[in-house]
Amino acid sequence: MIHSLFLVNASGDIFLEKHWKSVVSRSVCDYFFEALERATEPENVPPVIPTPHHFLINVLRHRIYFVAVIQSEVPPLFVIEFLHRVVDTFQDYFGVCTEAAIKDNVVVVYELLEEMLDNGFPLATESNILKELIKPPTILRTVVNTITGSTNVGEQLPTGQLSVVPWRRTGVKYTNNEAYFDVIEEIDAIIDKSGSTITAEIQGVVDACVKLTGMPDLTLSFMNPRLLDDVSFHPCVRFKRWEAERILSFIPPDGNFRLLSYHVSSQNLVAIPVYVKHNISFREGSSQGRFELTLGPKQTMGKTVESVLVSSQLPRGVLNANLTPSQGTYTFDPVTKLLSWEVGKINPQKLPSLKGSMSLQTGASKPDENPSINIQFKIQQLAISGLKVNRLDMYGEKYKPFKGIKYMTKAGKFQVRT
Amino acid sequence: MPYFGSEETVKELKRALSNPNVQADRLRYKNYITRVIRYMTQGLDVSSLFMDMVKASATVDIVQKKLVYLYMCTYASDKPDLALLAINTLRKDCADPNPMVRGLALRNMCNFRMPGISEYIEQPIVAGLRDKASYVRRVAVMGCAKMQSLQPNIEIDPSIVNELYALLRDPDPVVVVNCLRALEEILKDEGGVVINKPIAHHLLNRMKDLDSWGQSEVLTFLLRYRPRSDDELFDILSLLDAFLQSAHAHVAVATLRLFLHLAATHPAVQADALQHTSSPLLTMCGSISRELRFAGLCHVQQVMRSQPGLFAPHYKRFFCAYSEPSYIKFRKMEILVELVNDENVTLVLEELRSYCTDVSPELAQVAIAAIGRIARTYSEKCLNILTGLLALKQEHITSAVIQTFRDLVWFCPQSTAAVCQTVEACVDCTQDSEAKQALLWLLGEHGERISSAPYVLEVYIDGLKTELSSSVKMELLTAAVKMFLCRPAETQDMLGRLLHHCIEEESDMCVRDRALLYHRLLQRGVEQTRKVVMGPKSDPSMSVLTGHQQEPVSQWVSNFNTLGPLSAQDLCFQTPLIALPEQPSNNAEEELLPVSKDVSPFIPTDDQEELNLYLGPPLSHEAFERTWLDLEVQHRETLSYTRPRITPDALQAALQLAKIQTLAFTPGDTLPWKAYLYTRGNRTLILAELLWEDPDIEGSLVVTVKQQPPNQHALRGFVSTLSSVLQTLDIDS
Repeated sequence: MIHSLFLVNASGDIFLEKHWKSVVSRSVCDYFFEALERATEPENVPPVIPTPHHFLINVLRHRIYFVAVIQSEVPPLFVIEFLHRVVDTFQDYFGVCTEAAIKDNVVVVYELLEEMLDNGFPLATESNILKELIKPPTILRTVVNTITGSTNVGEQLPTGQLSVVPWRRTGVKYTNNEAYFDVIEEIDAIIDKSGSTITAEIQGVVDACVKLTGMPDLTLSFMNPRLLDDVSFHPCVRFKRWEAERILSFIPPDGNFRLLSYHVSSQNLVAIPVYVKHNISFREGSSQGRFELTLGPKQTMGKTVESVLVSSQLPRGVLNANLTPSQGTYTFDPVTKLLSWEVGKINPQKLPSLKGSMSLQTGASKPDENPSINIQFKIQQLAISGLKVNRLDMYGEKYKPFKGIKYMTKAGKFQVRT
Repeated sequence: MPYFGSEETVKELKRALSNPNVQADRLRYKNYITRVIRYMTQGLDVSSLFMDMVKASATVDIVQKKLVYLYMCTYASDKPDLALLAINTLRKDCADPNPMVRGLALRNMCNFRMPGISEYIEQPIVAGLRDKASYVRRVAVMGCAKMQSLQPNIEIDPSIVNELYALLRDPDPVVVVNCLRALEEILKDEGGVVINKPIAHHLLNRMKDLDSWGQSEVLTFLLRYRPRSDDELFDILSLLDAFLQSAHAHVAVATLRLFLHLAATHPAVQADALQHTSSPLLTMCGSISRELRFAGLCHVQQVMRSQPGLFAPHYKRFFCAYSEPSYIKFRKMEILVELVNDENVTLVLEELRSYCTDVSPELAQVAIAAIGRIARTYSEKCLNILTGLLALKQEHITSAVIQTFRDLVWFCPQSTAAVCQTVEACVDCTQDSEAKQALLWLLGEHGERISSAPYVLEVYIDGLKTELSSSVKMELLTAAVKMFLCRPAETQDMLGRLLHHCIEEESDMCVRDRALLYHRLLQRGVEQTRKVVMGPKSDPSMSVLTGHQQEPVSQWVSNFNTLGPLSAQDLCFQTPLIALPEQPSNNAEEELLPVSKDVSPFIPTDDQEELNLYLGPPLSHEAFERTWLDLEVQHRETLSYTRPRITPDALQAALQLAKIQTLAFTPGDTLPWKAYLYTRGNRTLILAELLWEDPDIEGSLVVTVKQQPPNQHALRGFVSTLSSVLQTLDIDS
């Protein structure tokens, strides 16, 4: 299935390779480099590249290309999702997934790749099973290992593999029994010039961290389950029960996992939490352009909009920008023409603004199109779709667990056209 | 990078590894081994350290073992005799009490790709298949496949194959999937693993225990299974139902593929499954990962071939975001073009208009081509936008617009007048040769409608010496000759100069030959030239095409969820209409005459026979056109209805209910309004044309019917069916 894997960094060097079936010469990557050269932006490399004898499937994450070499027909989604799983695992193990982190932990990386695929087929990919096979490196453990000379390989076979419930190991014990759920929603939107919404949709997930003794059986119900359009579940959720009663009933895996992901589409009304007032204009024949931007909260149910970051790709003709922010800091990169403004919190009493002028190349004609503005933000304690958890009950065990639910809304691809 | 002075590095490592002091210090020793591995992964040849590394494998440290095994697997094939030294340690590890060590050793032993290894690994593998730890069994099962690939010429051991089939009942789900994978590889030459009824049902029942990867693969294997009865089929489908909504896109899509495949004879079930999966597919198109989004779009495109209307309400999902990579934007635009209907056309065009001024010239050109495609149905709105774009005076935009105009005039002749008016405006800023060719073609073809055309040509002819592209010169020659035929007075002089230059001074042979050809042709007289150059064109209304034909699911399901659709190189808009006519079309003939061979064309019509219309295999436009021109008119009748005043989609749907396929019709209120239809019934193919010329006379819809082979009974039946449909529509509107 997956023959080999090459890791290529942003400057086009292969810095790691792993072969499962037979050694494929790294010259196969030349086709990839060709595509990389043809693509003007690093993101523009097509995910599937056919070559005379192989297919190359790549994903780009954290500025690293993960290039899988495929020799026979496979479902492409399978490979793409698997590569993403590899990246997620690295991130899980090392905190970040950068070239430096991978090079520092090259041994663990190889151990992981070896366990995740055998003969090109996925073997163990569940994070909690992998973590029992190979312990993640921590500073403390590195120190301990250095002193005692022990290793970070589990001495015992993971017990989870013998359990009747494949995603949960038997004999779990905790002194504090806790179950935490995070409802995280990302809002993707395109807002047009006049401030009306062109498209808006919400991608939501419920991530859980469950540390409960024994074999607990949980049920979770929502106040408004009809809101969810397109739901997909962790394999532990009993689908029939959801279809009949709209209740989530499941024996949870141990530790962190994604319970469900859902989608609220534009058919339902999606609240837009921020608005932007903008005036970006260039005058014909003048070498100056005006830039004014004001942000404000809207439909946030009294919650604060935080960690706001505004970025915008200004037209090529702009030489420099001379702006004054009312709060936060801004940077303008004259080479890439990228303007980014770290706003921080939005105070509804004193709306943040960024005003000033842009200088244009003298003699250049007026740019045709105004730049679009990308906004990132976070809102704590609010799920913008209005989704609310009603209650969580536990059966099958005697103790009383500690339960907690957090809500958060983030901007996904949130774009304002000007 | 260690490529420089690499020999030094290897020597230094060798010294360190053989140093007894280092060997005594476990940590330092391991550090050096780690360094060897790091150099190896960077592409440095460290194979000369093999002996030292084999020594290092005798250790209790599992990590060190893993590293050494990794090293050995890489270089074993280069140094087979040295690798044999390591085999003993590995075999000892295969009997270790720790199942992790057993599994690790077995796996690595199988990974040694060197001849002659199989005699050493066979016994541990067979033992591993019966190991009590599932981890070891997983490795051993895979090992069987590896062993087979090491010695491809040796006959397959039936006892191993039997053992693997038996292990399909293993309690561990990964062992089950690994068995399938291994059998598939071992039995490659015999067509892979056999999925019979007990195995298929066993796998279906185990589905929910498997991890997502296993599910996806089992679903692919199940494609080989054919249920015996409809009851069994529906049992299977209801078991699979939950997987259509899987959290993993690859499982959902694999399930859909199996669904479509199994329900090949139940179109309603297929349609239902597509309906079900539309929302997961849309979610995939909005996924955070670019690659998944792209794959989602490709799959949506395939589904749309059979169900064009399925995604129409969600057209806004396919608007491009600024930060998306271009390969996604291209796909989204292709989808948008397909999704256009009367309700959303304004918004879609507005959206596409905003892409036309994108920073990337490539994207802008694709957006303009997309508008051109929509223009075939909604010409007026699109022409306004395209004309507006010309005012920007941007070179790449103008170039793309002219090329779009050329294609549009070809496909949609009623827009010729509007195009001819605007084309003069873009004469000044065409620079690249593609655009020049398109402009020259337009000038030549429709010279009589563009008043300044000869003067534009003159500019080109005067600048001929500086023109580099030979294809532009050839186009110029053709355009000048065509222009001469319609406006001789203004063109004669410049044509003479042009021919003279091309024959006497031109160095490119193709251009010279073309010029000579025209020269000789003109010597034969103007009428002769006109016959050759202005040959008859195809009936313009034939190529009018609104609304897409729905392809049956079976057309695309075989490569659904495969690499093919994702790796298609040409992202530009392909038009099968121009691509096809030159090809020999035996298929088309066959599909036209499906049954006529064994039936004499003049059977006395059996009036008792009931007429059953059916659509049969789709008829291509070319095949239709050819048959239409070949056949005699069988029947012509003026019906007392006006042209149906409903949207093209609705008309198409209404006719389809009566099993009549609409092939093409004139869009909007253009006159004369025409529509071409076809259907099959009682062993005959029926082609029909609806024509409505005069809006002032009520009820003047002329229907012309042609038939192959003739069958009066079927013809009467068809006309009555058609008129009852039209009557219903007439009342509705």
